Amino acid sequence: MDTFLQQLANGLTIGSMFALVALGYTMVYGVMRLINFAHGDMVAASAFVGLTIYTQVMGQATSLVAVVAIFLLTAVAMAIVGIILERVAYRPLREAPRLSAVVSALGASLVIQNGIMLIWGPRMRIFPELVPQVYWDFGGVVISMIQVIILVLSLVLMVALYLFVEKTRIGAAIRASSIDQDAARLMGINVNSVIALIFIIGSSLGAVGGLFIGLYYRGITFNMGWQYGLYAFIAAILGGIGNIPGAMLGGMLLGLFNAFIAGYVSSTWADAFTFILLILILIVRPTGILGERVAEKV
Amino acid sequence: MKKYLATFLAVFLATGTAFAADTLKVGVQAPITGSYANEGQGIENGVRLLAEQVNADGGVMGKQIEVLVCDDQGTAMAAAICAKDLVNKGAKMVIGSYTSTCAEAAQKTYFKAGVLQTSDGTADSLTENGYWTFLRNSFPNSAEAEFVAKYLVDVKKYERIVVISDFSTYADGLANATEAAIKKMGGNVISRDKIKADSQNFTPVLTNIKSKNPDAIFFAGYYSDGGQLRAQQVALGIKADFYGGDANDNPDFVKLAGSSATGAFIVNVPEPAALPTPIAKSFIADYQKKYGEMPPSIWGLMNIDGMRAIIHAMEQTKSFDTKKAADYLHNMSEPLEGITGPIAFAKDGNRKGGAYVVKKIQADGTYFNEYVQ
Repeated sequence: MDTFLQQLANGLTIGSMFALVALGYTMVYGVMRLINFAHGDMVAASAFVGLTIYTQVMGQATSLVAVVAIFLLTAVAMAIVGIILERVAYRPLREAPRLSAVVSALGASLVIQNGIMLIWGPRMRIFPELVPQVYWDFGGVVISMIQVIILVLSLVLMVALYLFVEKTRIGAAIRASSIDQDAARLMGINVNSVIALIFIIGSSLGAVGGLFIGLYYRGITFNMGWQYGLYAFIAAILGGIGNIPGAMLGGMLLGLFNAFIAGYVSSTWADAFTFILLILILIVRPTGILGERVAEKV
Repeated sequence: MKKYLATFLAVFLATGTAFAADTLKVGVQAPITGSYANEGQGIENGVRLLAEQVNADGGVMGKQIEVLVCDDQGTAMAAAICAKDLVNKGAKMVIGSYTSTCAEAAQKTYFKAGVLQTSDGTADSLTENGYWTFLRNSFPNSAEAEFVAKYLVDVKKYERIVVISDFSTYADGLANATEAAIKKMGGNVISRDKIKADSQNFTPVLTNIKSKNPDAIFFAGYYSDGGQLRAQQVALGIKADFYGGDANDNPDFVKLAGSSATGAFIVNVPEPAALPTPIAKSFIADYQKKYGEMPPSIWGLMNIDGMRAIIHAMEQTKSFDTKKAADYLHNMSEPLEGITGPIAFAKDGNRKGGAYVVKKIQADGTYFNEYVQ
C-alpha cells in the first residue's frame, strides 16, 4: 500500500508538470488548429533562462522573494519569446496550408534547440538547490517540499486559467475565436490579439513547467525539450486536444500511467506503453477523453 | 581538359600525400556534445595539450602531431561514422572514446584499417574480440566488480544489496559482473534493476526498491544519472548506503545530487589530484594553466596515458608501423611511467594492474578516502 501511495504521489508530481506544458499545446491548437512543435523547446529554453536569471540578475540569492522573482521574470521573458515566435514563424503562414505551418513549427523547434546549445553550450547545466530539501514522512510515504510546491502551484495556475477563459470577457473572446475566427472578427474581436495572448499564456505556463523540471530534477540539457514536449503532446491528445480541462486531466493521467507502468511493469517499457496508449486513444476515441462532452474547444 | 584535370589531380594528390607525410595524425573520438560532453571535452583538451608539448619538443621522430577531432556524441551510430571518418583522414592512432558503447562500435573499423585505438572503456567485451589494435588504458569491469563485491560483502557485511544499471555496454556489463561476483561470495542481491539513461525520473524504480528494504545500492552507470538517482533516493527516504561505480566520479555528480550527495560513496581508481608521481603533477599543472580548470576526471588522463604509451612504442621501435608498436606494447618488459600509474599491456590489450579506492563524499562536496585497496 505504501508503494502504491508513493507511486501515486510521484505520478501526480510529474503529471502536473506534463499538464502545465500540455496547456500550451492545447490552447494554440484550440485557436489556430496548429500543433506548436516548438513548445517543448520553449520549455527547455525557459529552464536555461531561469538559470541565467538566477546567476546573473539575482546574484545567486536563494530567498523566497528571489525564487518568486525568477519565476516571474522567466515567465515574462518566455512570453516575449512566444510573441516573437508567433510573429516570425506562424503569422506569415496563417493563410497557408496547414502542413506549411507544421513544417514551420518543426523548423522553429530546431532553431530554438540549437539556439540553446549555442548560447548555453552542449553540456548538462545544473540547477541550484533553490527549494530546501525538506521531506515529510507519512507512514512510509515520503513527500518532499518541492513536490508539494509543484502540485499546488500547478493546480492554482490551472484553476486560474480555467476561470479566466470561462468567466471573463477576454476569455469569451478566446472561446469565440476558437469556434470560428471569421465570425469572431465580425463580432469585433481582434483575433490577432487573441492569438498573441494565447502564445503569452502558453509560453508563461511552459516557463513555469520548465522551471519545475529544473528545480525538481536539477540537471537540464539543451535537447530535453523534445522529451517533455512529446509527453505533453500525448497528454494533450489524451485529454482531448484543444480542450483546457482535457489537457489538465490528460497530463495528470499520463503522469500516473507512467509512474505505475514504470513501477509495476518495467521502467524500460514505460515509454513504449505511453505510445501504445496514444495509439489506442487515437483508435478508440480520437477526440480524447473530454473531447466530445465539452463542445467548446479552446 | 582531361589533361588539365589529370595534372590538377596529380598535383593535388602529391601535395596531399606530402602534407600527410609531414605530420603524425592523432584522432580523438569522444563525446564533445551530449550528456557526457564534460568528459569528452576533457579528453580533447588533454590530447591537444600533450600534442602541443610533444610538438614543442620536436615532435615524434621529427614529425609534428596533428590532432583530428570527431564528436561521437556518446552514441554508437555517431561513433561508427567517426571511425570511418578518422580512418579516411589518415589517423595513425585514435584516442577514445569515453564510453564503452562508442569504443565498441568503432573498434572493428580501426582493426580493419590497422589504426591503433586506446580507450578508457571498461566493458570486458572490448578486449574479447582479440583485435590487436585495441589498447585499454583503464582497468576492466571485472576487476572493479571483484573489488566492489569483496568490499560490500566482506568488509561492510551488507545483507540486502541492490544493483542498478542503465542499458549501455559499460554499465550493464559492470552491473552483471558485480552481481555475479557478489553471489559468488555468498552475498545477497535482492534486486537487479535497470534505468533508462537521461530519463531523469527514477522514482518509480526507487519506490519499488524501497519496499524491499535494502541496506546498500550499487549503481553502475554514468554520473549524469547517478547524481539524480542519489537525490531521488534521499528524497524517497531510502536509508541504504549509495555506491556509485567508476563513471560516477565526476564533479557533476555532486552538483546534481546537491545536499543529498553527502554520505554517498564512489568507487574508482584514485582521482587526478591525488596522483602522486611528478609526471602527473606537472601534466595536471600544465592542464590547469592552459584551461583554467582541473581535468574533469581520471578518464581523460587515462586516455592521455594510452596516447603516451603509443608514442613511446613508436619511438622505441623507430617506426610509424602500428603493428610493430602494438607488438611492442603487448610485450613490454617493464612498464612506462604514466600519469595514472605504471602502464603496461597484457597480450589481449588490457592494461595491467589497477587498485581501487572507496571515496565518501563529504558535506563540502570533497572526497574522503574511506578505503584504499
